[in-house]
Amino acid sequence: MGGNAVGQPHRLRFLEYGLTILIVITLNFLLPRVIPGDPFLVISSQSAAEEEIVLTAEQREFFFDYYGLDKSIGEQYVAYLGGLLRGNLGFSLYYKEPVSRIIMRRLGWTAFMVVSSLVLSTIIGSVLGCISAWHRDKWPDKFLFFKFIVLAEIPVFLLGLIILFVFAAGLGLFPLAGAVTHFARYKNCWEKIFDVLHHACLPVLVLTISRMGGMYLLSRNSMTTVLKKDYLRTARAKGLPERRVLYRHALRNALLPIVTRVFLSLGTLIGGAILVENVFAYPGLGLLMREAVRLHDYHLIQGIFLVVTLLVLLANFFADLVYAKLDPRVNQTNMQGG
Amino acid sequence: MAGTYASLQKLLKKCREFSLLGKISLLIILLIFLAAVWAPYISLHSHKISSGPALLPPGKGHPLGTDDLGIDLWAQLCHGARISLIVGFGTAFLAALGGGLVGIIAGYAGGWVDKVIMRLIDIMIVLPDFPLMIVLAAFLGPSVLNIIIVLALFSWVFPARIVRAQILMLKEHSFIKAAETYGAGAWYLLWKHFLPAVFPLMAVNMIRQTGRAIVSEAGLSFLGLGDPTSKSWGLIINHATSFRGIYFTEFWKWWLLYPWLALTLIVLSLAFISRELERIVNPRL
Repeated sequence: MGGNAVGQPHRLRFLEYGLTILIVITLNFLLPRVIPGDPFLVISSQSAAEEEIVLTAEQREFFFDYYGLDKSIGEQYVAYLGGLLRGNLGFSLYYKEPVSRIIMRRLGWTAFMVVSSLVLSTIIGSVLGCISAWHRDKWPDKFLFFKFIVLAEIPVFLLGLIILFVFAAGLGLFPLAGAVTHFARYKNCWEKIFDVLHHACLPVLVLTISRMGGMYLLSRNSMTTVLKKDYLRTARAKGLPERRVLYRHALRNALLPIVTRVFLSLGTLIGGAILVENVFAYPGLGLLMREAVRLHDYHLIQGIFLVVTLLVLLANFFADLVYAKLDPRVNQTNMQGG
Repeated sequence: MAGTYASLQKLLKKCREFSLLGKISLLIILLIFLAAVWAPYISLHSHKISSGPALLPPGKGHPLGTDDLGIDLWAQLCHGARISLIVGFGTAFLAALGGGLVGIIAGYAGGWVDKVIMRLIDIMIVLPDFPLMIVLAAFLGPSVLNIIIVLALFSWVFPARIVRAQILMLKEHSFIKAAETYGAGAWYLLWKHFLPAVFPLMAVNMIRQTGRAIVSEAGLSFLGLGDPTSKSWGLIINHATSFRGIYFTEFWKWWLLYPWLALTLIVLSLAFISRELERIVNPRL
């Protein structure tokens, strides 16, 4: 669903996304049923460690009945789909709360982190990429290129760990964990905003750096290709000032692939966010997912997975729409094709 | 088979064209590989049993110090290299094998089979892989084999696409057509013509997949989804970061730093090697 199907009519694309969503939901439904073992048994057989959940026989009975595990698989599937449509993602065994409510509470932090690093990395990465392309093979390009190749390859959680230990633990410049200071009393709302930003600084920075490399390489490539085009020679031949040629003619065309990448890279970025949240104990969905894994809270794990996947799919769909709007050539093929 | 062997030789010869960075990377991978192979001989202490006081800084007897249980860190790193390399190469191999097979089927069969496979690949590309890996690993339970299977499930897409594209291109060539008219079967064509042609690209891709698999394994272990008996590098980091007070003491300067360094070095080296090879095999990129 990347670039290869861009020229297809929208209705077909819509169908494809629908199919993907259905597959994800079916996978989510089948996983606990196909894999050998019994989640309730796992929970009830474990020794009562500090925070483990232990189920009594009655509770076990209740959950079997509640999830309709004694019904046929077809009936279960229909019931599951119906529940999802009503926004029912299941019930968390540990938090004793509907999964959807827990997720809604945590989603904001993840979204804040992902969106801000998405914006920052896109701007910084593409600006540096363009500068690099304009000075291709001179020292600014060589310097930036090497630096970004290294940065692009360092895994995000390793980068996070070293930054955490150097800047927060070693130098004490930033808070070690969390998104706000606990039990803090703020004099005014500016102090609160400062506190939130201070906590978000390192996680956002790490996520930004990890994605900036890819953005930089993409925009450098894109700009280099555009710079070789005939219409730029024409623009120069018309006697336009270099500044106008670069910003009006080259930049506009070079930005096209960057815009789609903003949405398409969301899947990888969310994977990174999950790890970064765990490095900095940032209270978003990623941290929640690790807690859920540790506590064997399968409904919570699956709920988070479903929400994250749907968001990513939505972003991809949006990318297709934006691309069609931005690139007139796509619209043309659309008309011919459909 | 001879053709594949020849293209492997050609690829190895190309390593001489590496830049300095590429050569250093190659050396690092070689050293890590040797450390993994000779792990029981070069580690002075056991990697499982306590061999000194807890949290000893690097020094005499324990070159990299010890962890909270007094287990020698150097021994843990050497044995951890085995896990990382097994997971990395195992995943890459499995992904190349599975992906290659899927690509061959799609490219050779064509028609609706090809269409179904391509749709499946499209779906795999948009799915956010890391959250799904967490879900699968959580359900399958932690073991090295499960981790390899889960990682391979998300790595076959690229090999499949390369192989399919190559086969579609080769199928139209006159020498393949000629071989077919002489009665060459699918199996013969595969070994004699298709495999040698796709091998260089696949080999380069496998190196990249190895790096990605090592990173993913470390990430999963860091989240507590790794094999608890394996002591991989990610698991050492997981132990170190969940140690209470790691942030307020000096312990991280060896307990966390050395596994961190090992992981970063192996991942960067693999990335540089695949980048160099990509440049040589496919100069357009």
